[in-house]
Amino acid sequence: MRIAMIVLRKFGRIVVLLSLAAMGTILLMRLAPGYFADAREMDVKYAQATRSELGAEEKAQGSVASTTLHMISGFLHGNLGESRQYEIPVSDLIRPRLRVTALILARGIAYGWLLAFCAALPLSTLHKGGTLFGAPFTVLLAVPSGAMATFFLLSGRGGPVLVLTLVLAARDFKFVRQLLRSAWKAPHLLQARAGGARPDQLILRHVMPNILPNLMALATLSLVTALSAIVPIEVIFDVPGVGQLAWAAAMNRDLPVLLAVTLLMAAAVTLSGFTSNPARSFGAP
Amino acid sequence: MRSIRLLLIGAALVASIAGEPSRSQEVARIPGELVWAIRYDPKTFDPAKVDEQASETIRFFTGGVLLRFDPRSQQPEPELAESWSISPDGRTVSFRIRNGLHFSDGTDLTSRDVAWSLRRVLSPATAAPVAEEFINPQQVTVEALDPQHVIVHLPQRVIGIGKVFDEIAIEPADRPSEGKVTSGAFTVFEYKQGQYVRMKANPNYWKHDATGVRLPYATGIRLDILSNREQEIARFQNGSYDLIESLPPEDFSLLAQKDPGAVRDLGPSLNTEQLWFNQSSHAALPDFEKKWFENRSFRVAISDAIHRSDLAKIAYDGHATPAYDFISPANTMWHSTHLQIPRQDLASAIRMLASAGFVTKGGRLYDATGHAVNFSILTNSGNRARQKMATLIQQDMAALGIDVTVVTLDFPELIERLMHKMDYEACLLGLSNVDPDPNAMANLWRSSSPNHQWNPSEATPSTTWEAQIDKDMDTQAGSPNPLERKRAIDDVQQIVSDQQPFIYLVYPNLLIAVSPRLAGAEPTVFQPGIVWNVTSMRLQGHQP
Amino acid sequence: MSRRFACTFLTLLVLVATVIVAWPGHTYATQDRDAIMAGSSAEHWTGTDDLGRDRTVRVATALLLGLVCAAAASAISTSIAAGVGTVAAFSPGPVASVLMLLSDLFLTLPWLFLLMIVRSSLPLNASPMHSAAITFLILAALGWPACARAVYNGALELRGSDWMIQGRANGLRTGQLVRQYLLPHLRPLLVPQFLLCVPAFLVAEANLGTLGLGVAEPLPSWGGMLLELDSSAMLARSSWVFLPIVLLVSVLLLLECLAYEV
Repeated sequence: MRIAMIVLRKFGRIVVLLSLAAMGTILLMRLAPGYFADAREMDVKYAQATRSELGAEEKAQGSVASTTLHMISGFLHGNLGESRQYEIPVSDLIRPRLRVTALILARGIAYGWLLAFCAALPLSTLHKGGTLFGAPFTVLLAVPSGAMATFFLLSGRGGPVLVLTLVLAARDFKFVRQLLRSAWKAPHLLQARAGGARPDQLILRHVMPNILPNLMALATLSLVTALSAIVPIEVIFDVPGVGQLAWAAAMNRDLPVLLAVTLLMAAAVTLSGFTSNPARSFGAP
Repeated sequence: MRSIRLLLIGAALVASIAGEPSRSQEVARIPGELVWAIRYDPKTFDPAKVDEQASETIRFFTGGVLLRFDPRSQQPEPELAESWSISPDGRTVSFRIRNGLHFSDGTDLTSRDVAWSLRRVLSPATAAPVAEEFINPQQVTVEALDPQHVIVHLPQRVIGIGKVFDEIAIEPADRPSEGKVTSGAFTVFEYKQGQYVRMKANPNYWKHDATGVRLPYATGIRLDILSNREQEIARFQNGSYDLIESLPPEDFSLLAQKDPGAVRDLGPSLNTEQLWFNQSSHAALPDFEKKWFENRSFRVAISDAIHRSDLAKIAYDGHATPAYDFISPANTMWHSTHLQIPRQDLASAIRMLASAGFVTKGGRLYDATGHAVNFSILTNSGNRARQKMATLIQQDMAALGIDVTVVTLDFPELIERLMHKMDYEACLLGLSNVDPDPNAMANLWRSSSPNHQWNPSEATPSTTWEAQIDKDMDTQAGSPNPLERKRAIDDVQQIVSDQQPFIYLVYPNLLIAVSPRLAGAEPTVFQPGIVWNVTSMRLQGHQP
Repeated sequence: MSRRFACTFLTLLVLVATVIVAWPGHTYATQDRDAIMAGSSAEHWTGTDDLGRDRTVRVATALLLGLVCAAAASAISTSIAAGVGTVAAFSPGPVASVLMLLSDLFLTLPWLFLLMIVRSSLPLNASPMHSAAITFLILAALGWPACARAVYNGALELRGSDWMIQGRANGLRTGQLVRQYLLPHLRPLLVPQFLLCVPAFLVAEANLGTLGLGVAEPLPSWGGMLLELDSSAMLARSSWVFLPIVLLVSVLLLLECLAYEV
C-alpha cells in the first residue's frame, strides 16, 4: 500500500512537471518575437506564397490558447503533431534520432565519469600542487565545446563521444576531487589508515560509500551539462541526433518539435532526480 | 602504484575514443555520382509546390521543362519544346514538343502531359507559387492541339514569360510522383531526412551530346544536407565533395592557401548588400528621427561617408566590389554605364549635413531641433561579413559624430521587426537577385508592394520620385520594346542613385570551389551557378 | 601556490589590464584599416584583429568586463542555488517538493525564448554596457537550478549529522546553524559550481550575441573571442587568437587557488 502511494506520488510529480514544461514552452515560444515570420518573406519570388501561408496559420492559431489546443490535438493523434518546418509527423522526425543521441549521451556520460574518477582519485591525495596537476581539466573547462569539436573534426580523430567525454570529465573532475578530498579527511579514515588498511580497502570500503550519495546527486547536473553540450557537438559533427533537431527547431520556431524535445528532456531530468537518491526516493521529493 | 595505474587507465580510455575516426557519418559514394552539400532539407519534392531554394535545386535537376534559361545567352533555350513562339500581342505562346520523348519510367511524353502539368500549376487548388508569375493564372488557358503542339492563351502580355516555363516541370498526366518519375535529367530515388537526397540519372533523358552519348554523364547526384561549413570544407579537401557552391570570404582565403587550383573568384555576383532607413509612416519612431530618414541630404551624406572600398577589402577579404546601384555590373544587359554617382567623401558628407541643418558640437552631431543624431543598424546573425560591415560603418559614422548601435538578430525576429511591425531605424541586409531581368524585382520597387522595404504597402506614393519609379516599372512591365524597357530601368537606376532609399554597399563576389577531378564545369555568376550544366559534368576517370 | 600568491597575481593581472585600457592611444574600437589581422609590431604588441583593432587593448578590456560580469553572475547564481537548496532542506516536505519541482522545471524550459522576449522589450539603442549587464543578470537568474538539487541533497544529509544536533541542543537557531556551520560544509559543492559557471557564462553570453543580446560591438566580448576558435580560418591566420583562452585558463587556476585552502 505504502509503495503504491509512493509510486503514485512519483508518477503524479512527473505528470505535473511535464504539463508545466509543456505550458511553459508553448508560452515562451509563442510570446517570443518572430513566430509568424519567415525569411522567405524578403524573397520577392516567394514572398506572396509565404505570406498567405503564415497568414492562414496566424488566423487558425492566433492566440496562445488556440496554439495550445492545436498542440494537444496533435499529441492526441499519436504522432506528437506535425513539424512546422518539415511538415511531417514529429514522431517520425524524433524516433530515428533518439537512438543516435541516446548512444552518444550514454557513452559520453559513462566515459566522462570514469575519466574524472581516474584522475581525481590519485590527485585528491596530493597535499600540494593539486591545482597545477588539475590544470588540464581547467583547460578543458575553458575551451568552449564548439571549439573543441571543431578541433577534433579538423584533426580527423575523435568524434562526438570524445568531445562529450572531455566536456563532462572536466566538470565532474572538479566535484569529484573536492568530495574525495573532504572524504579523505574524515576521522574514521585516519583511524583505518593507522590500523594498517590497504589503499584499495580504504577506497572501496570507506571513501566510496561516503561520497556515493553526493555523486548520485550530481547525476542531474551531469545530465543537464551533457544535454546542453550535445547541441553544438551534434551541429558541428553533423550527427543526425535530437540536439541538432532541437537547435533547428528553436531557430525556425518549430513549436511541435521543440515541445516534444522539451518533454523528453523534462522526463530525463526527473528520472535522473529520482536516481539521485535511491535510498531516500521512498520518502523525500 | 595504484594511482599511476588509474591514471593510465584514464589515458588509455581517452586514447581509444580519440582513435575513432570522426567521419563515421559519411555515406559511401556510388561510382560516377556527383556529391556536394546543401544547407537544409528541401521542403517538398513536388515541383509545382516549390517555395524555397533547396526544393528549387531539386526541381532544377529532376524537372523536365519546356524551355531552359541559358545563363550564357541569357535567353530561354528550347528543352522539351523543340521550338516556341510568342504572338505579336504577347498573349499566345505556342510550343512544338519534340518527337519521341519519354518519362523516366518509359511512358511517352506528349502534349497531354504538358497541358496537364501546366493546368495543374495554374490551378488555384495547387497554390503553386510560380502561378503568380502569370499575373492572372485563373484566366490562362492551355490547349493541346495535337500530340506535338501546345498553345497557352494569356489574358495579357507577361514580360519574360519564357523564363516562367523554366520553372514548370512536365510530369506524367494524372500521376504526379514528387520527383520519382520525371522528364528531366535525374530522378529522386532516396531521401534521408536531415542527411541527404539522392538522385539517379534518368535513363530516358532526351538530350545527347555532340557525339551522340546520352546525357547526363554522371550516374547520379547526392546532395548532403550540411549546415556546418567547417565540415563541408574538410570533406571537399578529402575528396568527398566535388564542389562548393558558395564559399564565405574567410574560408576562400584558407582554401586558396591549401588548394589554389580548386578555388575560383568569379567576380561580382548579381547580389547586393545594402543599408536602408525606415521611412514607413507606420514606423514606431519619434517624429524627429523620421524627419532625418526622410531627408534626402541625410541619406546621401550617410552614403558619402561610408568607405565602400574598406568594406570590400576588410569584410570580404577583397572579394567584393563597391556598389552604388541595384544592378550589378555582372548584369551587363541592364547595368547602367552612364550613372551619375554622388561624390564619395567625408567632406562632402559634412557639407550635405550642414546644408540640411545638422550641426556638430563637441564631436557629436545634432539636428536642427537639438536632438543628438544616433541610430541602430539591424542585421542578421550568422553572416560574418555583414556583421563586419556594420562595425566598419559604425566607425565611419563616428567620424560624422553619429553614434551607431549594431544589433544582430536571428532571422524570424528580424523579419517581424522589418516587415510586420516596422520597428527599426536602419537595416543592413543583402538581396539575392536570381533573375537578371529587373522585372523580377518589380515588387521591390513598386510603392504599393509589401516588399517595398523602406516604406512598404503605401496607399499612394509618398514622394514624387517614388511615383516616378512606379511609372517606370509599369512602363518596363508593359512594353515589348527592349530599348524602351532599358530607358525606363536606367531612369530608375538614376533616381535610386540620387535619392539613396537603399544605400548600396557592395556586390559580393561569387566564390566557389571545384574539385580538379570534376570535368565539364563552366561556372557562371548567374543562377544556378556552377551546376547550370550539370548534365555535362563528370568525374575524371569515370566513363559514362 | 598559496592564497596570497594567487591573490597577488590576480590583482596584478587586473591592474595591468586596467593600465592598458586607460593608456591613451589605441582604444578598443579604433580600426587601423591598413593592418588587418596583422602580427605583433611596435604599434600593436599582440597584433590586430580582423577589423584592424589592437588586440592587446581589446583583450584587456574583455578581461576586465568578463571577469567582473561573469564572476558576479556566477556568485549570484551559486548563492541562489545554495539558498534554494538549503531552504528546501529545512522546509516541510511539500515546500521542498515544490522547490525541487521548480528547479527541475527551470532546467528543462527553453530559456532562449525568454531572452528573445527580453531583447525585444529593450530599446534598439540600448548601449553595449547596458545590454551586457542585462545579459549577465539573466544568466545569473537562470543558472541556479543545475546545482540546487545537489545542494538540497547535501544539506538534507547534513541536517541529521551530529554537530547539527549538538548545535541545536546548544540553543543555536536554524539560521545561525546554516550560515556558520552548514554552508562551509557545502563548499565542496558550491566552489566547483562557481568555478564552472565563469567560463560557461562567458561562452553563453557570446552565444547570445546571435539573439541581439550579450556584449554589442564595438565592446570586446571575452566569450566572443573564445568562440573565434571554432573557425579554422581564424586559427590559421594568427597564433595570437589563443591569447584569450590562455588568460582564461590562468584566471580560472588563480581563482581555484584562492577558493581552496591549499
